[in-house]
Amino acid sequence: MSGIDALNEQLSGLQDAAVKAFAAAADPAALEQLRVSYLGKKGALTEVLKGVGKLPPEDRPVIGQKVNAVKQALADAWQATSEKLESEAVSLRIEAERVDVTLAGRRRDSGAMHPVHKGLQEMTAIFSQMGFSIAEGPEIEDEFHNFDALNIPLEHPARAMHDTFFLNDMSNEKGEPMLLRTHTSPVQIRAMQRCMEDGEPPLAIVAPGRVYRCDYDVTHSPMFHQVEVFKVDRNVSLAHLKGVLQHFLSAYFEKDVPIRLRPHYFPFTEPSAEVDIGCVFCKGSGCRICKNSGWLEVLGSGMIHPNVLASVGIDAEEYSGFAFGLGVERLVMLKHGIPDLRLFFENDVRFLRRMGA
Amino acid sequence: MKLPLSWLKEHTPLNAPVAEIADTLIRLGHEVEGVESPRADVKGVRVGQIQSMQPHPDADKLKLLKVDIGEAEPLVIVCGASNMGEGDKVPVATIGTSLPNGMKIKKGKIRGQTSFGMCCSEAELGLAEDAAGLLILPSDAPVGAEVGDYLELEEAVFDLSITPNRGDCMNARGIARDLAADADLPFSDVPCPDVSVDAGIASPAISVSAEDDCPLYMARRIEGVRVGDSPLWLQGRLLAAGQRPVNGVVDVLNYLMLDLGQPMHAFDAGTLKGGVCIRSATEGEAFAALDGRELKLSDGDLVVADSSSVLALAGIMGSLHSGVTEFTADILLESAFFRPARVSTTRRIYAMVSEASMRFERGVDPAMVAVAMQRATAMITELFGGKAGEVSISGAADSIQGGQSLSCSLKRLQTRLGVEIPASCDAVLSRMGFDVRRDGDRIDVTVPSYRHDISIPEDISEEYARVIGFDAIPATMPQLDITRPDIPDASIASAVADGFVQVITYAFIPRNEQRLFAEADGADIELANPLSDAMTVMRRSIWPGLLNIARHNLNRQQAGVALVEQGRTYVRTAGGHDENNLMAWLMTGEVQRDDWFAAARQADFFDLKGAVEAWLQNRGLSARFVADDKVRGLQPGQSAQVLVGRGIVGRIGKVDAGIADAFDIEVPVFVAEINLDALPEGKAPKFAPLAEFPGVERDLVFLFDRGTQAEDILQAVRKAGGRFLTEARIFDLYEGQGVSEGKISLGVRFMLQAADRTLTQEDSDAAMNAITEAIEKRFSATLRG
Ligand SMILES: [Zn+2]
Repeated sequence: MSGIDALNEQLSGLQDAAVKAFAAAADPAALEQLRVSYLGKKGALTEVLKGVGKLPPEDRPVIGQKVNAVKQALADAWQATSEKLESEAVSLRIEAERVDVTLAGRRRDSGAMHPVHKGLQEMTAIFSQMGFSIAEGPEIEDEFHNFDALNIPLEHPARAMHDTFFLNDMSNEKGEPMLLRTHTSPVQIRAMQRCMEDGEPPLAIVAPGRVYRCDYDVTHSPMFHQVEVFKVDRNVSLAHLKGVLQHFLSAYFEKDVPIRLRPHYFPFTEPSAEVDIGCVFCKGSGCRICKNSGWLEVLGSGMIHPNVLASVGIDAEEYSGFAFGLGVERLVMLKHGIPDLRLFFENDVRFLRRMGA
Repeated sequence: MKLPLSWLKEHTPLNAPVAEIADTLIRLGHEVEGVESPRADVKGVRVGQIQSMQPHPDADKLKLLKVDIGEAEPLVIVCGASNMGEGDKVPVATIGTSLPNGMKIKKGKIRGQTSFGMCCSEAELGLAEDAAGLLILPSDAPVGAEVGDYLELEEAVFDLSITPNRGDCMNARGIARDLAADADLPFSDVPCPDVSVDAGIASPAISVSAEDDCPLYMARRIEGVRVGDSPLWLQGRLLAAGQRPVNGVVDVLNYLMLDLGQPMHAFDAGTLKGGVCIRSATEGEAFAALDGRELKLSDGDLVVADSSSVLALAGIMGSLHSGVTEFTADILLESAFFRPARVSTTRRIYAMVSEASMRFERGVDPAMVAVAMQRATAMITELFGGKAGEVSISGAADSIQGGQSLSCSLKRLQTRLGVEIPASCDAVLSRMGFDVRRDGDRIDVTVPSYRHDISIPEDISEEYARVIGFDAIPATMPQLDITRPDIPDASIASAVADGFVQVITYAFIPRNEQRLFAEADGADIELANPLSDAMTVMRRSIWPGLLNIARHNLNRQQAGVALVEQGRTYVRTAGGHDENNLMAWLMTGEVQRDDWFAAARQADFFDLKGAVEAWLQNRGLSARFVADDKVRGLQPGQSAQVLVGRGIVGRIGKVDAGIADAFDIEVPVFVAEINLDALPEGKAPKFAPLAEFPGVERDLVFLFDRGTQAEDILQAVRKAGGRFLTEARIFDLYEGQGVSEGKISLGVRFMLQAADRTLTQEDSDAAMNAITEAIEKRFSATLRG
């Protein structure tokens, strides 16, 4: 047998053996070892090629082609096995890393904002965005700001209705007894006083805060929250009051709610009106909660009484204003269908988390 | 106030459906709290006439009646009463009727005799509290008619909530006048009757020394009265209006008060000594009030008195012994106008409320004082006999504010209401008793004597608003200046995002809970009239409130709670008081429950500290925590002051175990508070370029004496670390095996970095050496590795 034939046979045998061996490799390490043993510098192919130098020159191109073909076949076989092994490895890893996606996620109990606080913030934000400035005032007040300046003189029947908490041995600089404010309206007086110290109206204020009444039963809490809203300017009218109320109530309840103003009496406003909204539970058709009237009372309002303006030195001929006070708990109860005022102050975290979510 | 529709109809011919009348009342400002159909529960009770009456064969006290109720056959009824006779007309509850007391009438045998119904007393019909026998109806009562219809028991009764300014509407006449004016119906006053006066009866001697408080006083004697029960129709009226009949004279006066709005009082003239004076009480003067209380009066209280004692606190309440009873023969009848502010003040001082005082303090109609006197005299003498004397009068009706004239600008009224005021509204006001004249822009109004609430043009604008109807006023937006909008305080939001549940607790707490975290140093603010022992002082700390809420929730199977509250605390100061705005936190129980990935873990100091740090960081602030063993109520060794800059802004620590125990909390409780008023303004983040070159992270572990504070070590590190040190923190803490007693092993991890190049080995070695040297020098520390 000539040299070239023997070499050809050697190469074919090597190719067959290598392709078989590559295909049988169990893992990438074994495959690498085989690659080195066949294709490496000291590998089997190199060994065979040593025989090429002994061939006659005319045979060399022929064998060269054969060598290239064998090299290509080995590379292809290696490639195929390598890819197969790699994909097997990936599958194995994925299988090993498989998790139960239905197990609970790793997290902490969530916090929650108190629904009354949340309501207070929502309400304040609506007015703030309309252009009302936010103001606060003391909760421990004197009789002047809580009553007298608001046109509620001592002998006025409305004063007795306020169920006021008084404080022991506390008086202001004039010696008048101090009390826990029964409404946020004193902020109206304080804001107007501040305004008049270095200027004059217009004045548009929203004043959220805590208020106190000496009254405690299913529908009354001795501490609750109000938002006082008022505006003083030239030519402020009852129609403006209606406009602001309509805008606010629709914004707060996130839908167009019908409103109804009923003439009422408050010492600090004239004319005065109580404001009803169409019952949010029965859509006005009448139910137990609205006592079949289709309306729910939500707040008291009116045009600021000239005596109130006068008490802070604002000329009632030139200026007028509207004012109203929102009961925060009541509005929050209506918006979220909360049946019992006491839930707010019991502070059961299950309730708070549900409402604060 | 309850008013039957039939009563209103006596003043004006209302013909609208009840629901429509209710709507009109609401539009006019008279809140309708409900419309009742009373006595619907006596349906089936009919007028019956007793045809025959025989004794029950087996029972001495029972009788067998045959009663005609207009059916073909009379009913056989067994009856235990004895006040009736043959021919009497009585109410008969037929089979199937349910009575107001809950009794259901069934066919039944009574001692062997079948009874086909029941004859009723007033009590059984709900007309009186009790009764001695059957209700004998007038002889002209139609046999077979429903008793409810006959006695006008079935009708609409409006339950009205009259606002304090509308004293003129606390009666049928006033409400009817408003309704009539609105609907343009005729309105008629009951004519003031002529009263025949017996010249032989002396007019009473009256003297008024307090004319300011009593500008009009009338009194007259009626002698020889036989006080009996008032007639049924009158009792029915009172009951429908929610008042209990007392005796004939008192009932007449109550009826007229509800009809006209003028409260009157009747004294038993036989008990009086001398003339009547209306004066200020003397200091300490005794008064035995009708409600059983013995009062010591003060100077200024307005009283009606005879020569020996106080007969009444004027306009509020009579005395226990001077009132009219069924034995009274001679009456002194009083009708007056008492100044509203006087009645209100006195009533408030003695915590008294009466139907009379409610009307006097809102102001009665001066014009009705005489009318009521005449009508009362006529009714009493007609019903109960007796002869009336001449009226004694002090003062005059027209001396009392009335006929007041106001002048206002039409343009201004319209500007304030935001709507045109049509001239047609003037006619409605006229029907309400106003005299209205327009002249160009001027509107002149004369106010009727009964409208004490109207004194300024704004009051007139309200009258127009009522008449126009608030519904007809448009809703328009006012012009609001564009200003920088205030951002509502968002302190709570970041604490909530960190897992805390916000609570709101009362600002008043029990005194013993106040003492847990605040000394008895006179700075408490106490309520003068607390609702209960649990609400006696204004809180100086929010922690007691949070502890109570923690207990509440732990008792409801919460394994751990994290609470936050934002609110005020209240402290008495030399010059007055302070209200501080605080944030307060509480953490207790499990912060990590047993889970598939972790074991349960109880909250500790550092859970809460981390929360407070995160909350401050959210405001752009960082704090230092300085150990303080003397924070009241907190456990020494686990309590600290919180400092921002150089100022103390709050406190944090573990609640003393004894205190927690007092709140039934058995696991460690941690609390913190930050005074919002003490916090400096946080800094908005400023941009700085990010590091371009990689840093080097290095660790050093030292042995320190136990008690060495981390903050001190890190400070020393920062000082010695040189310009490349960007961060240093404690990454490991160990004591126990391998570390000798009294020592603690702390590992510090550093980041060294330069802005302009990668650091060399020499750079970092130099920094590490400097740090090691400084630590070993400053503390008795040794490098472990
Ligand atoms: Zn409803």
